[in-house]
Amino acid sequence: MKVYVCLKQVPDTESKIKVAADGKSIDSTGIKWILCPYDEFAVEESIRFKEKNPGATICAVSAGPDRVVDALRTALAMGCDEAIHIALPENADSYLTAKSLARAITKSGTPHLIFTGKQAIDDDAAQVHQAMAEFLSLPAVTVVLKAEYSATSVKLDREIEGGAIEKYEVATPCVIAAQKGMNEPRYASLPNIMKAKKKEIKKVTLAELDLTDTDTKVSYSAMQLPAERGACKMISGDVAAQAKELVRLLHEEAKVI
Amino acid sequence: MKTVIYCEHHNGKIKKSSLELLSNAATWGTEVHALALGAPGTLDGLAAELNEYGPHAIHFAEHAGLAHYSSDGFAKVVADAAKSLGAEILLASVSTQTKDFLPRVAVKLDTGMASDCTALTVAGSNVQATRPMYSGKCFASVDFSKAKPVMATIRPNALGMKAKKAGSATATKLATDPGTIRAGVKEVVAKAGAQNKVDLTEAERIVSGGRSLKSSENFKILEDLATTISATVGASRAAVDAGFRPHSDQVGQTGKVVSPSLYMAFGISGAIQHLAGMRSSKLIVAVNTDQNAPIFQKADYGVVADLFEAAPKINEEFKKLLQH
Amino acid sequence: MYWAIKPFFVFAAIAGSFSYFIFRSKILLNTLTSLPTKADRSDHIPSRIKSVFVDVLGQRRVLKKKAPGIAHTMIFWGFIIITIGTVEMMVDGIFRGVNLSLLGEAIYGRYLLVADIMTLAVLSGVCFGFFRRLVLKPAYLKTGVDALTVLAFTAGLMLALFGMNSFRVAADPGSTLNQYFFVSGFLGNIIHQSGLSPDLAFVGSEVFYWLHLLLVLGFLMYIPRSKHLHILAAGPNIFFRQLGTSKAMIKTDLEDENATSFGLGKISDLSWKGALDLYACTECGRCQEACPASLTGKPLSPSNLVHDFRTELFAHQAAILAKKTEELPNVVRADSGVTEDVIWACTSCRACEEVCPVHIEQTTLIFESRKNLVLMQSSFPAEMQTVFRNLENNFTPWAFGSDTRADWCRDLEVKQMADHPTAEVLYYVGCAGSFDDRAKKVATAIVKLLKKANVDFAILGKEEKCNGDPARRAGNEYLAQMLIKENVETLNKYKPRKILTGCPHCFNTLKNEYTAFGAQYDVVHHTTFLSELIEQGKLKPAVGADKEVTFHDSCYLGRWNDVYQSPRDILKAIPELNVTEMPRNKNKGLCCGAGGARMFMEEKIGTRININRTEEALATGAKTIAAACPFCSTMLTDGVKAKEQQANVQVKDVAEILAESIT
Repeated sequence: MKVYVCLKQVPDTESKIKVAADGKSIDSTGIKWILCPYDEFAVEESIRFKEKNPGATICAVSAGPDRVVDALRTALAMGCDEAIHIALPENADSYLTAKSLARAITKSGTPHLIFTGKQAIDDDAAQVHQAMAEFLSLPAVTVVLKAEYSATSVKLDREIEGGAIEKYEVATPCVIAAQKGMNEPRYASLPNIMKAKKKEIKKVTLAELDLTDTDTKVSYSAMQLPAERGACKMISGDVAAQAKELVRLLHEEAKVI
Repeated sequence: MKTVIYCEHHNGKIKKSSLELLSNAATWGTEVHALALGAPGTLDGLAAELNEYGPHAIHFAEHAGLAHYSSDGFAKVVADAAKSLGAEILLASVSTQTKDFLPRVAVKLDTGMASDCTALTVAGSNVQATRPMYSGKCFASVDFSKAKPVMATIRPNALGMKAKKAGSATATKLATDPGTIRAGVKEVVAKAGAQNKVDLTEAERIVSGGRSLKSSENFKILEDLATTISATVGASRAAVDAGFRPHSDQVGQTGKVVSPSLYMAFGISGAIQHLAGMRSSKLIVAVNTDQNAPIFQKADYGVVADLFEAAPKINEEFKKLLQH
Repeated sequence: MYWAIKPFFVFAAIAGSFSYFIFRSKILLNTLTSLPTKADRSDHIPSRIKSVFVDVLGQRRVLKKKAPGIAHTMIFWGFIIITIGTVEMMVDGIFRGVNLSLLGEAIYGRYLLVADIMTLAVLSGVCFGFFRRLVLKPAYLKTGVDALTVLAFTAGLMLALFGMNSFRVAADPGSTLNQYFFVSGFLGNIIHQSGLSPDLAFVGSEVFYWLHLLLVLGFLMYIPRSKHLHILAAGPNIFFRQLGTSKAMIKTDLEDENATSFGLGKISDLSWKGALDLYACTECGRCQEACPASLTGKPLSPSNLVHDFRTELFAHQAAILAKKTEELPNVVRADSGVTEDVIWACTSCRACEEVCPVHIEQTTLIFESRKNLVLMQSSFPAEMQTVFRNLENNFTPWAFGSDTRADWCRDLEVKQMADHPTAEVLYYVGCAGSFDDRAKKVATAIVKLLKKANVDFAILGKEEKCNGDPARRAGNEYLAQMLIKENVETLNKYKPRKILTGCPHCFNTLKNEYTAFGAQYDVVHHTTFLSELIEQGKLKPAVGADKEVTFHDSCYLGRWNDVYQSPRDILKAIPELNVTEMPRNKNKGLCCGAGGARMFMEEKIGTRININRTEEALATGAKTIAAACPFCSTMLTDGVKAKEQQANVQVKDVAEILAESIT
């Protein structure tokens, strides 16, 4: 029984984002790369599935430049059995990522389940899960908070607006995109970290998947940093005046309400 | 240019953000088609609302299989509609629904999509869009030259509602077939508890209180404010330790890490353990009687006042604003 | 007839009990040597010898508690002196006539006098022991069968001695030696006056002789199986105590390919020194009395901890000796006395180690257990996961970007080592000073003072990473070593002449633990450096805002590194500033509760340690509580707020108080 986890390596949330000299991408110097937090829930879920279904093998897959191998090692250290690295250039969009994941998975072996996170915190596109599922002609449920597995189907809780829950029951194989809080990702023990260093990570090129790096659809022509957050604006006056001015600023200046 | 706008609706009303899109599309000089999905006979009442924003045409895709949301069904129907209508631009407002099924539509149409755009303009055949990346730390201009049709989802309130434009389109019924539904909603369960609120970690707006609230009953002041602006209530560790709020409400290093668009901190000093939990909020408002409280170093707007006076007054002002 | 057979029986008794004693002692020794983990305590030999004199013979720490201390010292010295006589008795028992009287009456008589008085002293001490255990019953002192048996044996021995000697006096009323018997002489006279015949008195003395001999031999056999083992183990344990930088945590060799486990999981993971610690404990309970966790209702009692580890050691002694330890359970488990809550409750304040009369290293048991829990089982309080992540990704326990580390001094014109590598002083700011708004003010004050004194200093800026303390104290040795190695590389690049730290945790780790990783530098805490500047006249404090001040000693500055005076020197140098000491001050200071990485954990059990300390500080009436550590400052500030005294009392770092007094 083969279970896949699709994960992405992203800049740490605290990384300072700087625009590269060409103005079209970000400057990757000084960036600390981590396994996307949402994908961590997916990795954890796949390992918990395996703990209940000992016959399953968990294969972590990631598409990106060579550095993503570190994220795959983190997944292996958490307990995944194998890993596949699809060599993809930095500017790949959701379309190419989804297509390459779908083809690599098909090549590797029929999936029983595919886990992934609900979005990558770098591009925040939240498309690859459903797009990949469409390429694979599989159903998918995203923003999943809870999953109950039986032999041929999965019961899923999906979170929508207002914290309400949509209940699904989907036949396997299917794609499950994890939401924060689906589980508590484990911290890898030292022996597992050491073991993971020795596990083989299979490298797959785009050519092997009948794809090229120009098979993208959307690209970015320019990147810009937002204006720097200024000093705190202290609102003066008596309480009534302060309240009025604050609400006005929130509506007209900050535009959050 | 044909622009198709997917219009989401609930309980017989079109979602405000879909109307926002329609009102903007009316200014672009393209042929605007409004598209809505649902069970047979449930959509007719929507035509009047849609016509207030002057679409060129209104299309209803009706089928029993569309009575409940499903990514399979909705994706297939919208993709088929886009093809049969010859859409050159396909847009929707960001919601949990559109985030879920539109990526499948993009693959079916063999195109790419730009999600959560905060700006979009159409001039002739040129579509320009901007979208935030890295949790809003950077904004990217999108190049659609290889993506045809152009697909994008727009963040609610990003474009702003434009003027109404009376229209008189008659709704046409599209022949649709959602196909086999493999992942359909069986049941929707509203969130338990008096407040139908999103979990702190995913909340867009948070109203948070510290020990200065003095009692759990006093937190009602913040709960009222939160209800007015659809926010979730959070608390500092001191307030949780004092028993005013449960641990699940704690924001901070050892509680929950949040990243809302708006974080309002009442009577919270801003010690590092709390800051660690809410620093990445897009906008921080602090209300505190101590003008030297560290939280003012991190806030965008600061009010030095007694929260017992300030919070109710702010609530009133919000109510006034949101009634319009 | 009696005299003919007596030697054989005496010899048989001695031979039997000695054989048994040696047999059991060898097992104890073999247990130590069978433990695979190594420990090196071959450093500082002269200091070690000195320590044996001062701590063993001089009973230094024992005497810190007046009444029990004096009682114990009397028993200790009494026993040593009496033992001479006991040996004499045994020899005389086998070879009649071969005894100390051969030295001549002058010497022998004086010995008898001293021994007799000592017998009384020991008996008094033992009576006090019974009284303390059965009547006073302090909470930290556990009294079980073992304790009472030991006291009973000792009392019995003394009474037997008195019996023997007083009947001897009565048996030979004319002996010139009788004048030397102080107590026994007095008792002997009473017996004699009662009319008992000298022959019967002699029988009585032999009866007591045998009683004494059998009690001594019985006691000897009892020792290896009881807590009285401390009389054998205490001396060696004190000799092999932690000295110098050995107060550093053990550097686990994580690269050891053959290691199947790290840290202390099974009891067989102890080193010989750890096992010796367990042998040396006599369950005096002083560590429990001093422990802030025990004080506030946590399940941790260092005394129980040592006891439980020892029980575990003896329970699996056979397996250890057979070197078949694979199947042993972990010491830390829900159904033993050592639960995870016990291990995580420790704040590493070292109060236990400070008061322990035999220098047991209780914190080593805790730290090594944490290593095993974290590295091997990934088991630790959930709050630490975020801390570990932050340390991995941003080299600071809080979620702040590592490239904003120098932002705190953006407007202060502070040089960075990269631009000024030859700076006299490398100011190691620390994570709190770099990211915590409250601690940034302290860092700013330090910068102001350094500039005022024209000190040539620079900071590492973005090159600075967390020193590794939170990870190390929380048991994540892997992460800690990663951080340490990266910092060591940076430090060795610049080879600073002096490193000035803003935080006692940085101070302790850089000074004591970085040596093992190849970086040995002159590291000083800011209070020491600033007090030296004052002494050199480079800083001239004037009257400041703070008049009534109390000082809270940081554990990592004080007990860990013996720095008690520097912050006080600074405060004393400020005119019109009056320091009131808290009752628990200097090496008796109560921990603020944040050490041992507990700053980052929730305190869910019992009452709050920081509240306890804050109450003590507030009770001094001081308007300012001075501290020298960002963690202490945070905990005390929280405490002041919890007591709703923030309008009346301020918490300030010593550097801030000094900076405010210098215009």
